[in-house]
Amino acid sequence: MGRELLGLKGIRPVMAAMAGLTLIQTIAIILQAKWLAETVSALFAGEPLQEQYGTAVLFLSAFIVRQLTVLCQQSIAARFAEVTGTRLRSQLMQRLFQLGPRYAGENGTGSLVTLALEGTPKFRNYIELVLPRMLAGGFTPVLILAYIYTRDTASAVILTITMPILIVFMILVGLAAKKQTDKQMKSYRVLSNHFVDSLRGLETLKFLGRSRAHSSTIASVSDGYRSATMKTLRTAFLSSFALDFFTMLSVASVAVSLGLRLVNGSMVLVPALTVLILAPEYFLPVRMVGADFHATLDGKEAGQAMQAIIDGKSAEELSGKEQLKPDYTWKQGSKLILKGIGVTREESSQPSLEGAELELRAGLKVGIIGESGAGKSTLIDVLGGFLRPTDGHIEVDGQRLDSLSEAAWRKMTVYIPQQPYIFSSTLEENVKFYPPQASREDVERAVESAGLSSLAASLPGGYEEMIGGGGRTLSGGQEQRVALARAFLSDRPIILLDEPTAHLDIETEYELKSTMLELFEGKTVFLATHRLHWMTEMDMIVVMDQGRVAEVGTHEQLMHKRGVYYSLVREQEEGAA
Amino acid sequence: MNREGWLMPYIRAHMGRFIMMIILGVLTAAAASMLMFTSGFLISKSALRPENILLVYVPIVGVRTFGISRAVLHYVERLVSHDAVLRILSQMRVRLFRVLEPQALMLRSKYRTGDILGLLADDIEQLQNVYLRSAFPGAVAVVIYAGVIAALGRFDGGFALMAAALLLILLAGLPLISLMMTARTQVRMKQERSRLYQRLTDAVMGLGSWVISGRAGDFLSSYEEDEASIARADRALKRWARIRNLIGQLIVLAVVLLMMTWSAKQTAAGQMDGTFIAAFTLVVFPLMDVFLPLSEAAERLPGYRDSLNRLEQISSGSCSDSRTEEALKSRRSQTAEQHREQGTADGSWKQGSRMASADIRLEDVSFSYKGNTEAAVHGLSLDIPQGKRIAVIGRSGAGKSTLLGLIQGAFKPDSGTVRINGTAAADLGEDIPRIISVLNQRPHLFDTTLANNIRLGRVSATDEDVRRAAEQAQLAALAGTLPGGYDTPMREMGQRFSGGERQRVALARILLQDTPVVILDEPTVGLDPRTERELLKTILRETQGKSLIWVTHHLALAESMDEIIFMEGGRIEMRGTHAELMERYPRYRNLYRMDRPGYALERELAKVGG
Repeated sequence: MGRELLGLKGIRPVMAAMAGLTLIQTIAIILQAKWLAETVSALFAGEPLQEQYGTAVLFLSAFIVRQLTVLCQQSIAARFAEVTGTRLRSQLMQRLFQLGPRYAGENGTGSLVTLALEGTPKFRNYIELVLPRMLAGGFTPVLILAYIYTRDTASAVILTITMPILIVFMILVGLAAKKQTDKQMKSYRVLSNHFVDSLRGLETLKFLGRSRAHSSTIASVSDGYRSATMKTLRTAFLSSFALDFFTMLSVASVAVSLGLRLVNGSMVLVPALTVLILAPEYFLPVRMVGADFHATLDGKEAGQAMQAIIDGKSAEELSGKEQLKPDYTWKQGSKLILKGIGVTREESSQPSLEGAELELRAGLKVGIIGESGAGKSTLIDVLGGFLRPTDGHIEVDGQRLDSLSEAAWRKMTVYIPQQPYIFSSTLEENVKFYPPQASREDVERAVESAGLSSLAASLPGGYEEMIGGGGRTLSGGQEQRVALARAFLSDRPIILLDEPTAHLDIETEYELKSTMLELFEGKTVFLATHRLHWMTEMDMIVVMDQGRVAEVGTHEQLMHKRGVYYSLVREQEEGAA
Repeated sequence: MNREGWLMPYIRAHMGRFIMMIILGVLTAAAASMLMFTSGFLISKSALRPENILLVYVPIVGVRTFGISRAVLHYVERLVSHDAVLRILSQMRVRLFRVLEPQALMLRSKYRTGDILGLLADDIEQLQNVYLRSAFPGAVAVVIYAGVIAALGRFDGGFALMAAALLLILLAGLPLISLMMTARTQVRMKQERSRLYQRLTDAVMGLGSWVISGRAGDFLSSYEEDEASIARADRALKRWARIRNLIGQLIVLAVVLLMMTWSAKQTAAGQMDGTFIAAFTLVVFPLMDVFLPLSEAAERLPGYRDSLNRLEQISSGSCSDSRTEEALKSRRSQTAEQHREQGTADGSWKQGSRMASADIRLEDVSFSYKGNTEAAVHGLSLDIPQGKRIAVIGRSGAGKSTLLGLIQGAFKPDSGTVRINGTAAADLGEDIPRIISVLNQRPHLFDTTLANNIRLGRVSATDEDVRRAAEQAQLAALAGTLPGGYDTPMREMGQRFSGGERQRVALARILLQDTPVVILDEPTVGLDPRTERELLKTILRETQGKSLIWVTHHLALAESMDEIIFMEGGRIEMRGTHAELMERYPRYRNLYRMDRPGYALERELAKVGG
């Protein structure tokens, strides 16, 4: 258990402390038993109570020392677990930000958030449990056993024999239970998911007129789930049954054998009582390991999952070296050239972008169009620096770059995705996202330009009104306008847009369009969409087809050409007939 | 305060099992204690070196019996308690489902944020711990407590009282203090944690913006600060847990010493045999294992409160709609429940019979949501005779969903009438699914096979019917590529199943449902234009002759509808056929031109002859 624990930073002193404390604790356990036995047998022998105060105080001190070492171990483990867990989480977070939106999209926002928020406490819990136990599990029984050997060999032999039997049985039963669980895993999963599945599909069931009848299905599936679970549990609980059974049997055997030898006079009371008190202590660490098995397993897996993301690729590989000067500016006359840019994702052999050649001037409005999967988003990701090309290179004002994952380039760009990110904060904070130090006047001007003034006026809190997940929910069009206000306020020269209007109703889209065109004034624009109407507003259209740049030109040129673009337009505008 | 609503009835209903659980739990603890007690007695007795071994025969048998029975009892106890709790969960699930079922169509608008349904399902899972981890150990501890005090009372009433006081600290004092000390911190931590959840989800969703803005570092450091504040609270809780453990252990120590001196005194006074000193001392340790975990069990209680509150809220029907409330009220009385069951049984013959035609007529309908002064729909009139196809367009909040809800009878109009074949839609209740089928943005595909998902449209459908519906929905080719064909479980299809294909499965389902009216509620949002177009073509082809109410956000294919309706602020702003709208409204022409930029150019090209 926990080999990778030893690789954790700062574990050595912690382990040393744990070892020292475990040793003290074990000695305390032994002494506590010894002194208690001595006191009890003295009292049993009829000695007066007052004479036993000395030994009783010794017992009391041993007991307290033992509890104090437990307390120390727990607090050391807790502190170490907190530091380690926090470090792991912050590494994970930094890595997430390096990996960027594409990674988050592919791996599911929900599962990443859950991993960071719930995985960390689980991992911490695991360290906290495992650190004191790891040494106690090995040390304590051995030391106690060694002591028992010095007091009574016969009992020690019983205890020695029981331990391996107990462990073997636990493992055997555990394996049998696992096998059985695996066997019914599939039906088990369906059964256990059935209820959530039914609740999520409630509306659909209602539409289908099946919802009322479904409650009896729930009852029968739930019952099926219960019997399946009970079947598994009958085996699964056998493992702790074996533990209980052998422990108790062993303690009972020790007691009986002690009794018999006391009867025939080959034994005296004090060591007998000592051994009897120590016997349960001997098994205690193993029982603890069994009790927390699932919690530790969960935590271990969470830790591994987090570590796997962190170890994925080094930061160097991901973000590369900064090649642009920090004060680089994209200005009138600047030029961006893509030379043979290709992107091949690790998991697929098919490149998502291949041999892209483009030459773009500052101030151009570039439309990127193509079917789903044609490479539009990949191209936007390369232009935004979210993705490092695997082939080719980029030239910015004559400087050769491997990618646009450059802080200086990002400072020049604004990114507007399909569902812009409205964070749970005030309207004002949301608008001044790019320059957080912007003044209220600037914010107001940006809000005005983005056509949000009426919204701001209608909100009871005005600019201080909370919006986003924790506050007022905005409509799709309003969210998009917040993103536009941010762009107006930032005044960055490059604007990247990925399907900004595809999800909006046509009237909202129509109204937004004029605002957006105002924003585009004098800016360099990259707009990926499959809404064709944008193309007539663009200075240049890049038509993507199967990961390649198929055509480049204006709307008129491409329509006349009757190539890929022309057939795209034809296809989309063909009627129902 | 009807909080017991989700806990007590189940205890009452399963009283026998609960008593069994407690008896087994008590016996388990007693066996463990008696093992140490008889062991102590045995070796003390043996130390007196009785001449006849038979004198210690009884304790020897006792030790062995208790040793073995403790393991067996514990095993049986765990099985019995899990079985009982799983039975309860099963009943809770059915109850929750029945509570939610009448509100099905309102749930989405009522709980806009988050996955309320997933949350409720989790809540029920959570409640099993109330029984297993808190209530049950607590009850066992109380019985053991009473037993111990009674047993001691037989020897010495004064001492029994003293022990009672001391043990009461473990049984009730420490758990209560624990609860008071940690409840507030726990609640705060929970709130902060859910806030962090929100923040982090926000941040990951907006990862692109953070990266581009160059402010990722700002976010990370402010996030770490928030985490640090939770960590501080967590540290305080853990510190308390350690101190609490120490206090518990010190009480154990006190009990041990007390027992020892008391039994020594009893012996000295000749009230008790000396052989019991060891027995009484050793029995303390296993006994205390019953009491020590109680504080932690108590600390769990605030955690259940949220779950209970939520379930209580849902089932008490603090909901906006009167219909839901009525339905809930009638559910509370058992007779009404039975009546309803009969009602469905009577109605079931109709289920097989198909409704051939439905004329929908809305006359001057107004409706506003409870607590909202502004009308969601105002003075709306609409006539949809069998076979008419209309497209409904409008911004979010224009009243489209309300219109659909009114037609489906989910809402009762405040004024005006919504009638289907002359009957008020709201009175049709369970008959609605025979008249209207719905394809919405995210139809739910259940975790079963493809065929079973389609068959949900008509449970009595034969395999042949299912296959035909799938073919109509253009699913045949897809089914051919699946390893098990139509019998492939949905989940195993994984990523191969695109958004368009999911909609086709749902389409096959409603084709099987075969209703005279079909509602399409933006079924193509999020699909790319080609998929959208192909799906719509299939839908339009396969629903020939049916009435169609299609809420859409583009004009694509809308021109082939019999009527296009533009809604705004709960009213109809423009209506007519495509040709009429083109002729009458410049606004429509603008929209159309934007939606079809190639259209104008194409004409020009045609003119030039290019």
